[in-house]
Amino acid sequence: MVNNFDPVQILIVEDNPYDAELTLRALRKHNLVNEVYVAEDGQEALDFLFCEGKFASRNISSPLKVIFLDLKLPKISGLEVLKRIKSNPKTKKLPVVIVSSSKEDPDIKAAYELGTNGYVVKPVDFSDFIKVMQNTGLFWLLVNEVPR
Amino acid sequence: MIRELNANLEQRVEERTSELEVVNKELGAFSYSVSHDLRAPLRSISGFTQILVEEYSSKLDDEGKRICSVIQENSLKMGNLIDDLLSFSRLNRTELKKGLINMKDIVNSAFSELTDESSVKRIQFKMGDICNSSGDPNMLKQVWINLISNAIKYSSKKEKAIITIGCKKEEGYCVYQIKDNGVGFDMAYMDKLFGVFQRLHSQKEFDGTGVGLAIVQRIVLRHGGKVWAKGEVDKGAEFYFSIPIISEI
Repeated sequence: MVNNFDPVQILIVEDNPYDAELTLRALRKHNLVNEVYVAEDGQEALDFLFCEGKFASRNISSPLKVIFLDLKLPKISGLEVLKRIKSNPKTKKLPVVIVSSSKEDPDIKAAYELGTNGYVVKPVDFSDFIKVMQNTGLFWLLVNEVPR
Repeated sequence: MIRELNANLEQRVEERTSELEVVNKELGAFSYSVSHDLRAPLRSISGFTQILVEEYSSKLDDEGKRICSVIQENSLKMGNLIDDLLSFSRLNRTELKKGLINMKDIVNSAFSELTDESSVKRIQFKMGDICNSSGDPNMLKQVWINLISNAIKYSSKKEKAIITIGCKKEEGYCVYQIKDNGVGFDMAYMDKLFGVFQRLHSQKEFDGTGVGLAIVQRIVLRHGGKVWAKGEVDKGAEFYFSIPIISEI
């Protein structure tokens, strides 16, 4: 995990520590793990993004490359976090990818209506999960360009 | 007096309906959330077992490795159960999109989706004249997929499987029939056939979660039809479903 001053490239918002660990494992194979921060609920994610609370001194000189956002979160839901990110001029250009267990149409529609940049369903099968998270991580970190 | 009674009755019907709507909605939300919340721990179980196998296999003896594969097999199985439960509960929440349906096309495409070059060789697939119907194409295709895959599965121990599909018109309904020469079933268990998670065979004999026919029944009921079956142990099974004829097509 990183301290508040390292340039974080991926923010993972995930309340299930085991899902977070499995995601980190998938990313570790590409040496991306040092640049990840895991927020455990919606409030922590927003504090991180808006440099509030314990993140007041966070270094934001290099922007996040991607936010992996779970939908079902304690305190503030994933969709609410997404809404706040996309409705704030400071954060609306950040790529957000919903990473959820839900493949329900209403969830997917709601996320796109709020401006998500992608929607990935977490497979239950572990090797599929690893594959999906690696591909997603590689695309957003190495292939995709974000505005500076 | 009668007017008053009528008004009372109407009010009670309204109350009851809205109560039922609430319960129905709650049930939908319940199965939705159960299914989703069950996935995460399941992923952990299969994931961490996989890590054990991949990274600690030198410390595991054969029995340890076998136990890991039992865990993985069961988490896979539970994943399938959850998927089926989800698709079953989704059925009640999805609106019917009714249109005219070319039943023959749907049956053919369901059959070809379920077979490949090698498996199709041992199946003799016969389809008579099939009347077209009006209904939700995706849902009715699901009905055929479930019925045909059952027919294939339960006749898989025969050297040559014979699956026959037919149709007849009966009192304002199209009655569709699918018949196989598989293991059949005991009519005594007929009432269990269409129940959710009900199975007449062990996992060892035939793989499955016991949701397929429940889905068939739910879809057909939503179309205003009925399902029923006939069978005898070792002498094949016949499944029927009826769809009301809206107009001649």
